[in-house]
This record gives sequence, C-alpha cells and structure tokens, in this order.
Amino acid sequence: MSASSRQAILDRVRAATSATAGDHAQLASTYSVLPYPYIHAGKLDAAARIALLVARLREYDAEVVECMGGELPAAIAAQLAASGRHSFLAPPGLPAEWLASGFEWKIDRGLSAEEIDQADGVVTAAFCAIADSGTLALHHSPGEGRRVLTLLPDWHLCVVRASQAVETLPEYFARCPSPPPALVTWISGPSATADIEMTRIKGVHGPRFLHVILVHDEPIHDKEKSPHHSLRLKEAPHFD
Amino acid sequence: MSHGPADDAIAGRAPGDRPVLDPALAPPFPIAALPVLRNLQLRKNVAHATDVIQAKRAHLVAEKTDWQQLRTAAAGIRTHALENLGAYLEQFEARCTAAGGVVHWAADAEEARRIILELLREENATEVIKIKTMTSAEIQLNPFLEADGIRASETDLAEIILQLGNDEPSHIVVPALHVNRGQVREIFARTMGLPELTDDPEALTAAARNYLRKKFLSVPTAISGANFLIAETGSVAVVESEGNGRMCLTLPRTLITLAGIEKVLPRFQDLEVMLQMLARSATGERMNPYTSLWTGVRRGDGPQNFHVVLLDNGRSAILARERQRQTLRCIRCAACMNACPVYRQTGGHAYGSVYPGPIGAILTPQLTGMRYAKSLPYASSLCGACYEVCPVKINIPEILIDLRAQVTDQERHEAVRLFDPMYLGMRIANLLFARAWLFHAAQRMARIGLRVFTQRDGWIHSLPGMGAKWAQSRDLRGLPRQTFHEWWARRKEVK
Repeated sequence: MSASSRQAILDRVRAATSATAGDHAQLASTYSVLPYPYIHAGKLDAAARIALLVARLREYDAEVVECMGGELPAAIAAQLAASGRHSFLAPPGLPAEWLASGFEWKIDRGLSAEEIDQADGVVTAAFCAIADSGTLALHHSPGEGRRVLTLLPDWHLCVVRASQAVETLPEYFARCPSPPPALVTWISGPSATADIEMTRIKGVHGPRFLHVILVHDEPIHDKEKSPHHSLRLKEAPHFD
Repeated sequence: MSHGPADDAIAGRAPGDRPVLDPALAPPFPIAALPVLRNLQLRKNVAHATDVIQAKRAHLVAEKTDWQQLRTAAAGIRTHALENLGAYLEQFEARCTAAGGVVHWAADAEEARRIILELLREENATEVIKIKTMTSAEIQLNPFLEADGIRASETDLAEIILQLGNDEPSHIVVPALHVNRGQVREIFARTMGLPELTDDPEALTAAARNYLRKKFLSVPTAISGANFLIAETGSVAVVESEGNGRMCLTLPRTLITLAGIEKVLPRFQDLEVMLQMLARSATGERMNPYTSLWTGVRRGDGPQNFHVVLLDNGRSAILARERQRQTLRCIRCAACMNACPVYRQTGGHAYGSVYPGPIGAILTPQLTGMRYAKSLPYASSLCGACYEVCPVKINIPEILIDLRAQVTDQERHEAVRLFDPMYLGMRIANLLFARAWLFHAAQRMARIGLRVFTQRDGWIHSLPGMGAKWAQSRDLRGLPRQTFHEWWARRKEVK
C-alpha cells in the first residue's frame, strides 16, 4: 500500500470540503440535526402486522404457514415431509425439538462447503422479520447459522416468532443491538433475477425455495377485529 | 446498409466489435448514437426493459406515503457524509482494520489495478470470481487482469451474458437490458456448449446456475464492489438479487472489495433510509432478494483475508466544486436512466462510458477532469425527469447546464474565436437582443428570408450553409405571419 496515496487523497478531500481533521464532537452534532422526517413506527395492530408480513412474503414467492408455539415441532416436521427432501442441515444453536425425527440431520460444526452443498435443505431461526418489505433479517447467531448455511442448499425453512415481526424497516433498526451486528443478511424472497427481459426468475444461485413458519406465541387477542382466517386474505391491509 | 432485426448481431455490431466505454477513446455521443437509433431490435429491448422497471417503480413509490420525506433524509445523509468525507473515511478505515480487514488507498485507476493485481499474485490466483461492480469496469480491471494471466469471471447473470457475448454493459443495474432472450440463448448455446438450450428465461437462468456452481465452490479469490461503507462500524454492504454476490462474499478464502471513496455512510442506521429507497428505485421491488453486510473478518464464517481498496480516480476533484458535489451523492439506482427520454432511445453504449444515462452524462466528464466525454452534458433535453426520480435529489439538469458552460468556456479559450461561427453567431445575437428596433428588424428579415425554406407543412426541414448542420437533427416551425407584439398592437387598435 502506498501511504502517500492515502495522505494525498485525504488531503485533497479535506481541501475540497474545507473540513479539518479530528473534530469528532462537531461531526456528531451536525449529524444529529440531519432531517429524519419519514415514518418510523408502524400503525398496524399485531394481527394486521402479521397479515401484512404474510402477504408481502408470499408476494415474492415465499411459502408461509402459521402455527401456535406448541405446534412448532409438528409444523416443522410437516414442512420437511411436504418438501419431499430427506437430508437437512441445522445451525448449532437450533433447539433440539426442531430436529424432526425421520430425517437425516447434520449439525453445522464446521461443515465443508461441499457437505453443505450436498444437503437437501436447511432450517434456521431469524433475528427479525419486516412486514413492509417482506424481509427476514439474519444476524448469524448460533440459531441462524453461518452465512453459507442458508446459501448453498436449495431449500430454506426459516422460523419466525410473531414477536419478532415489525412493521417498518426503521422499527427493525431500532431493535438492532448496540453496537450494530457485524454480519447481516437481509432476505426478501428466494434468490431471483430479472436480467433477461425483466422476467422475474426464481432461484439463480441462492435457495430456490424459501419457506417461513410464523409462530404465534399466544392466541391473537383481538379476535373480533382480525379473525385468524383473515391472515389468509390475499389483499394486504393498506399500509401508510 | 441493411439493419433489419434478423441480421443484427448483438447490439447491431459486427461480432468481436465491442462498444467503446473508455471516455478517452469513445466517439462523441451524437455519432455513437446513430447506429443505435437505426437498430430497431435494440431500441425495442431497451424500451421494454425501461418500461417494465418504470411501471413497477411508480407503483411502489406511490405506495410509500413518506417517499418525499425519505428523499429529504437520504439527500441529507449523503450530503453530510460528503461534507465530512475525510473524517468518515478515516473512521471507516480504523474500524475495518480493527475488525481484521486491510484498507488500501488508490489515487487513480492505475494504482487500484496494481494494488488488486499484487493482492491476487500473493494468492497465486489464476482466476477470480466477481460480483457485478461498475467501479471495476470504470478502472477497466478485467482486461488488465487477463493481460496478466488472471481470468476474471463475472458471476452476475447479466454480466455473464456480456462477458460470454463479448459485449459491454449498457445499464448500471440491468447491464444486459439491451439483449433479448433469443440473443442470450445464442450466446449460452455457443459458449457453454448447449446446442439444445431453449430461449425460455427459466432454462437460460438454470444454465447459468449450473455453469457457475462449480466455480463458486472452487475459486478461492473474489472481487466485489460496495453499495455502502459504514464509517461507524467499518462494515461493507452489498445489495443484489441472485445470490451470486453472497457466494462471492462467503465462499472464497480471499475477498477484495473495490469502492469509490464517496460510498461512505456515517452510521449503520442510515441503511434504514437507503434500503427503503434503493430497491424501489432500482428494480421496482420493495426490497431486493439479498443484502449482505459484513465487518472485516469473522473466524469460521466467510473469507479469512479481506481487503478494501478505496478509489479516488477523480472523485475528490468533483467534491471540490460545490455545485457539482451532489453528483457524488449517487447510490447507483439507475432510476434516472430508466426515466430519461434520451437514454430510452439510445440505450447505454452511445454514452461511451460504464456510467450511461443522466447520471453518466454528469459523472463521466467530471471523472475525467472535463478532458473527455464533453458531448455528454448535451445528451439531454433538460426535461428534469431524472431529478424527479432521484432518491437522493441530485439536481442533474442544473449540473448539466453548469457542465455545458464549462465546456463552452474551455472551447472559447481553445478556439480562435473570430473564426468560430458559434461565437460570432452569439455575438450578433447579443447585439440584436439588446436593441428592440434591431430585433424587430431582424425578425422581419428572417420572416422573409426563411419563407423560401418553409415547406408546405409549415415546417423548415433543411437549411443551407452553416444552418445545414443545425437542421440535420431538428425541424423548425416556419415563422408565423405576425409576431406576438404585432398581434398585440393590432388588437389594441381594433378595440
């Protein structure tokens, strides 16, 4: 590396902006008065938020099913069975009761890329789900796995708890820990491309199939306003 | 010369004849645009792609009730980052280094190429896999590496189409939008040895998946660009759709990221604004399928050697001109080119730069220090559609006009003015417009003089002498029988 280029670039940049080096307090104060007039918190109640999440996930070809907390192991087993696949991967932090019997499981304790590539699918948790854009955020904790784990297998089942769902992207960032996560993958639907005549094709290099199980920790309280079957409605509630 | 769609090679050129995207060598825009305008297939491909993206974008932007507020915030963040770029670059360097990354600084394209080549040589690399990066095209990295015996393999579907088809990108988000499925089928069938391949986009995509999977698992070095550098954390973010990016960012042993110095965001949380705007503006999606963020090196997860090359290459000079500084706010969404009535007719190659469209028309000449691409500021009708869709509120028309003034100033110094027809014409106009009686006299003379050239349809299609060049690409409405002033005066008399 050329130390002189570093200095030359920084000198040119500082001369161009007439900024002086090292005034971090002033920098923080000018940053703090930047305008942030956009919508931060969502307005939907819990049921509508989940309904929006489901609709947005489905819109980009993710398969979504919902279940109650106690039904989760059975729901996972049902998804695995319905996939017609046999060998699955799990990150080391995945709860043992999620590893449905009757399938071949490999726990990732440093599997090689080739071993991961040969698996039929992978099951992980997530850090958060953002309803507005139908996005899953993985921070690659032990329950979410290394990045490669959710990349090479063709089939990804992601388990999200209702309490992990937020309505807006700013709400997700507000939930992020401080300091911010060092590794993040934001996933919105399966891998896709529109490079050929703007035709959206599912599954170029990442998983071609993205399945989500939404786990309700408790019965949805506001039953009259948002009965459970309304979650299946095709139309998403209006978002503003 | 026949230019029917049937006998067109890709983009209407002879095989092996690549479009020139080096601003120092490319022909001026009006000349480069001519063959494209005759190529109906290419224009159809470009119009289709831009129409589709525009419609999807418009739908999603309308859905976002705080879109204008997001634009305000995004412009504010980017402006602040640029005004304090020195501090944020140093902060990024410190945090990235603390997390195990190595930061390099490249003053120009040549230095960046040399740094990358040296890093690859240390790895004994014979091949490197790449995520789509316009910055690497800007420094013409691939031909440089190939000349040194290192194969640079593109992994983005569009970039594969271009690389295998010996073509160049014509758009910064959808680089092969000028190529249709039949042309892709032809390229893949020929270069991948798949004569049975159909032109179904699904089959073509599957062919690319199979072609690349082995490479992803075996090539130990990768090159990426960066959508954002986060000063607060030293993290890098890459936004993509296919997963080829995640492959390159995760599987190799060594990763080299090439990023323009302007890509810095102050804080991680600034992404809550940028990520709401980028995909909606770029591809008309609420969010692109994959966005990756990483910080230096994580033991056991991803590349264990990570290098960032920070590239100036003319950017600090743009920063120094206060009015033009906003050019560097750009987050490369390409909404401006999809909206541009000029780009939509010509496609990207006519711009003679890896950055086409309105943003290219202001960025390219500035990156060359106003030495090359001087025709680009004129490749616009100044309609302002680009400004309206820009998520970071770059006032492109304002900069276009400013750059035109710079080009004119340069030429005025260079040309022997008294023999320059444009200069003389402007001087005469200056005299006429300053005196009402002279102006009216000139109007009367022009009305009589131009009558000869006015056709039956009321239009002037051609002019003699110096006017011929002007009228070559323009029609002029014949002058009316009376001027507004004359009509106004007579109207008063009648009353």
